[in-house]
Amino acid sequence: MRKILIIDDEEGNVRVLSMSLRSDGYDVVTAYSGEEGLDVFNQESPDIVLTDLRMPGLSGLDILKNVKESSPETEVIIITGHGDIDSAIEALQYGASDFINKPIREEGLSIALKRAKEKIDIRFKLKEYTENLENVVKEATDEIWRKSNFQIKLIRSSNDGIVATDSQWKVVIYNPEAERIFGYPPSEVIGKMSIADLYPPEITDIFMKGTGTKKSVRGLPWIETLILKRNGESIPARFSGSLLYEKGKVMGSVAFFQDLREIKQLEKELVRSESLAAVGETVAGLAHYIKNILIGLEGGSYVVDVGLDKNDTDKLRTGWQSIQRNIGRISDLVFDLLTYSKKREPESQNCFPNEIANDVVELVEKRARENNIRISKEFDLSIDEVTMDPRTVHRSLLNLVTNAIDACLFDEDTGKNWEICVKTVRENGNIIRFEVQDNGSGMAQEVEDKLFSSFFSTKGGRGTGLGLLVTKKLIEEHKGTIEFTSLPGKGTTFILRLPFEELKTF
Amino acid sequence: MGKKVLAVDDDPDVRSFVLTVLEENGYTPLVAQNGEEGMNAIKEEAPDLVILDILMPRGSGVRLYRELKTDASLKHIPVIVLSGIAEKSFLRSQKALTEFRGGDVPEPEAYLEKPVKPGELAETIKKVIG
Repeated sequence: MRKILIIDDEEGNVRVLSMSLRSDGYDVVTAYSGEEGLDVFNQESPDIVLTDLRMPGLSGLDILKNVKESSPETEVIIITGHGDIDSAIEALQYGASDFINKPIREEGLSIALKRAKEKIDIRFKLKEYTENLENVVKEATDEIWRKSNFQIKLIRSSNDGIVATDSQWKVVIYNPEAERIFGYPPSEVIGKMSIADLYPPEITDIFMKGTGTKKSVRGLPWIETLILKRNGESIPARFSGSLLYEKGKVMGSVAFFQDLREIKQLEKELVRSESLAAVGETVAGLAHYIKNILIGLEGGSYVVDVGLDKNDTDKLRTGWQSIQRNIGRISDLVFDLLTYSKKREPESQNCFPNEIANDVVELVEKRARENNIRISKEFDLSIDEVTMDPRTVHRSLLNLVTNAIDACLFDEDTGKNWEICVKTVRENGNIIRFEVQDNGSGMAQEVEDKLFSSFFSTKGGRGTGLGLLVTKKLIEEHKGTIEFTSLPGKGTTFILRLPFEELKTF
Repeated sequence: MGKKVLAVDDDPDVRSFVLTVLEENGYTPLVAQNGEEGMNAIKEEAPDLVILDILMPRGSGVRLYRELKTDASLKHIPVIVLSGIAEKSFLRSQKALTEFRGGDVPEPEAYLEKPVKPGELAETIKKVIG
């Protein structure tokens, strides 16, 4: 609903216009002079003012100026008479939205009114739009402020030292943790220092060189480094960083530093406690093994005592055998411990590898037979006398063959025909391959993993956990190799390769 | 003739020791190397007592023990366990086996941990079968 104020000193005109406009749906108020017009205007605040130009007292032009001063959004239409063209133009200049000539024709009036209304609408929409825009901008600005504030807080509170630079390598961000790590207060760093003044030289290098190459410094993995603090102290730290790009060009860099002192301390303590635990386990295992030997010796000496008392030679012999057997076990254990703990050069001698292998088989034959285990030998007859360390060969083969027998003894599958095969093969390059194969219990993955790496035994109180460790050491000292394959339930094959020298004359 | 006592152990040193103690104390000794041999000897000789090692390869000691304690015809034979493992561990393992297969297995008449002095072994045997 639009309100129109009609100002004209001719009553007749006012009446006609009012009627016409009211029937068009407008809300009409009237005035018969300029002064009255202004009063009514101030009271009624019409949207449109329709005023005659020539009136006694205040003219239409005066009304126009007044209205536009106090209420610029109000549209003013001037009613002009014949010969008023100059005034009309002036009125337009003062902001009148239109003028219509007397006599007023319906068409002309409605067009002018329509234009006036359109201007009002557009102005209103523009105002709305602008207000809305202002709101949107305010909200966006607030949001940016909040986010920026949040990020500033983020950087401040980070547990990592964060240092960022501009494209000229000058430090622009330097957070409290960085201050703690480097020791310099922000006032000495931000805007003042470049990375060459602050970072360890190799880190500075990474950044400087990174800009030259196409391969960018983006998200480097953690690198350990030493940071020289302001007070001269050197601390271990971890570094990672990135070059920052904007539209393809380097716009700066960022680096993250982590103080490793506490972590390094914890690592040291962990290593220490792990090795202490390992020593503890080892000592306990050995003590258990030695206790078993002791039990054997005590039992044997009791039997010997009874034999002495009763003059029973058989008893004596039986008891003495027990004692001898256990002395042998002690002797083997001592040898193993010494071999394991000392660095040893192989002592090469002229020897017959096939004979050594044969000796080993003979040593265990009785025990194997008693337990239905067949041992077969496949010796390469082209292997004759050579120069190598016979103790290494003997000790290693004995260990492997004993393990093979135990694998059969521990095998749950009692329907099997247990068999162990000991093979020697001469290989090119002066190497002898020794193979010990069994079809016993085989090894599970967890056992395979620990085989050569710790004092670990599957034999309960009967094992020291030293067997394979010593074997491996001897083989390595002899510049040989040892490997194995195993299938749980099916068996295991160990392969030794040992180099030899052609017969030497000593 | 003294009472028959069967000693089952895979360690020859233990076998000769127990055998000597048995002889010195007037019992008739029998020996076996593993659970299967032990069971054969029990069926053939009907011993008055079995001295049994638990930790033998392939769990044969454990198996023999359970058979002795659950078979109606063998339940009456007293058993002394002579072992390298502590009694607590043995009882715990028996409990676990019981839960696995159902049915309670009674404790042995006596439990001895190695090393055992000849006198202590003899006393224990006397307490069990006289």
